[in-house]
Amino acid sequence: MIKRGLAYAVLVLGCLIAIVPFAITTLASLKTMPEIVQDVLALPATPAWGNYAEAWEQGRFSRFFLNSTVVAIAVVIPSVVFSSMTGYAFARFRFRGSNAIFGYLLLGMVVPLQAMVVPLFYLLRELNMLDSLWALILPQIALSMSFGTLLMRQTFASVPKDIVEASVLDGASSWQILWQVMFPLSRPLIGTLGLLFFIWTWNEFLLPLVVNIDPDYHTLPVGLLYFQQRWTSNMPLIAAGATIIFVPLILIFMMFQKQLIRGLTEGALKG
Amino acid sequence: MRPHSPEPGVLAGEPAIVAGFTASSRRRAGPGWEPYLYLLPGVVVFTLFVVIPIVAALAISLTAWNGISWDTATFVGIDNYIQAFEEPRFWTALWHNLILIPYFVILPTILGLAPAALVHQMKLRGAALFQAGLFLPYIMPGVLIGVVWRWMLNPIFGPVNSVLEDIGFDPPTWLADFTWALPTIGFIGAWAAYGFCYVVLVAGIQKIPVDLYDAARLDGANGWQEFTAVTLPGLRREIAVVLTVNLINALRAFDVVKATTDGGPGDSTTVLALFMMNSLDGNRAGYAIAIALFLAVVTLVLSLAVLKLFGDRDD
Repeated sequence: MIKRGLAYAVLVLGCLIAIVPFAITTLASLKTMPEIVQDVLALPATPAWGNYAEAWEQGRFSRFFLNSTVVAIAVVIPSVVFSSMTGYAFARFRFRGSNAIFGYLLLGMVVPLQAMVVPLFYLLRELNMLDSLWALILPQIALSMSFGTLLMRQTFASVPKDIVEASVLDGASSWQILWQVMFPLSRPLIGTLGLLFFIWTWNEFLLPLVVNIDPDYHTLPVGLLYFQQRWTSNMPLIAAGATIIFVPLILIFMMFQKQLIRGLTEGALKG
Repeated sequence: MRPHSPEPGVLAGEPAIVAGFTASSRRRAGPGWEPYLYLLPGVVVFTLFVVIPIVAALAISLTAWNGISWDTATFVGIDNYIQAFEEPRFWTALWHNLILIPYFVILPTILGLAPAALVHQMKLRGAALFQAGLFLPYIMPGVLIGVVWRWMLNPIFGPVNSVLEDIGFDPPTWLADFTWALPTIGFIGAWAAYGFCYVVLVAGIQKIPVDLYDAARLDGANGWQEFTAVTLPGLRREIAVVLTVNLINALRAFDVVKATTDGGPGDSTTVLALFMMNSLDGNRAGYAIAIALFLAVVTLVLSLAVLKLFGDRDD
């Protein structure tokens, strides 16, 4: 019984320490600077919603938010489609060079982005893609292939073979089997994969920092960094900017908590 | 951050060959060109934006190049690497990464392991809710974590110091203090990771057969002996994973440092990835890439070592 109480106490404390910094940040975003200086933990007299309007318009968070959303969608969908196709090729067919190609695709998990990002900058410059959303989209699709292929191969390999055989007998082409049989059957895992791609893209910082100098093409993390540098001592505004970034993440997290935690921990076990 | 692994698949218990589907397609005289068509889009994108940069990185690291026109690139062999090794600031930066290891790797593992062992196989009300709360920092971008903590620890109007001052302490200026800045970043890293460690470890504990605990109790083991004789060995794999992930984060630390101190005050928190990015500004592409590749190799070697040390590959 005592042990049980202790377990609860430890977990509550651990949760508080994890969550309180975000809560205090949101609190600060609703206050004025004098209110923060006076008592940082007190509630504001009236919520200063104006901070959000200012961050959203003058701070250009509307633009960063739009960029982040466009990039996330443009990365996640092709990444899921392409890795379903590569995963399917390895799971369903036996062909010359399959092991070599599989190993080749896993190369992306061994070499960190930090080692590729500088040459990537020069490559994108050759392609005239610097300072554009393409510079964020195409490389991140490519970076998704390693993990995606690994996961989808495993997922498709675990689809019972009777189902596939039955579809073959029904005269389904391999293309139809992929999209009409395998894909729907694996929906939970594909959902998780999409969520992971989304989080990784939404959070990516180094790539946009290096390849896009023009603030028109900044995503939220880079935007927040420059925003912080510009408004160093305007805490309410920085707090509002930070809140704009983490609220969508918290919402998605609350909606897909189980899938995300499982995906990220098992992704780590895999990766 | 996208997952990285020194040996993808080793820990996943991947099936070595993919059984099941191949039989029927083989009977039809082999799949022909079909699988290659499925691979095409993925492999093309991957080759263009991952493989070419990797190959280019290796090549550029062996040249002196101003980063502008290819005509100016001259082959210099391993000069860039030698230059880095002779630069004291390079070693200082690497040293800072090593100082982060206890904070990023060991501290959160212990902070996750202790409650996981305590919770053990208890059925707790709201277990999923606790997991979610604890896990939250792990899904947040590093820059955001940096910005949030920079404000939390602001010496003038940040909440941490104002609370500490209220209860009679005389706190340091944390991120602005030469001695405290690096450990403070370390604590931020530990804060961001302990919930993740807890979730992985508690899931691992639930997979340990209850019989093992019953047997230990029959043998008269006390709580601590149970922990060292049953829990710890049963968690080998999970501990190896947690340590490896944390270690990779310590060695690659960049986002949080960039957003909190940007390497300062002075050079006191300049980690290797930041040093690499800063040396880019001097138009020394080959030099910067050499450092990045060095860091990649160090990360690979150290994380393989951790896996070998802790990983149990027999299952």
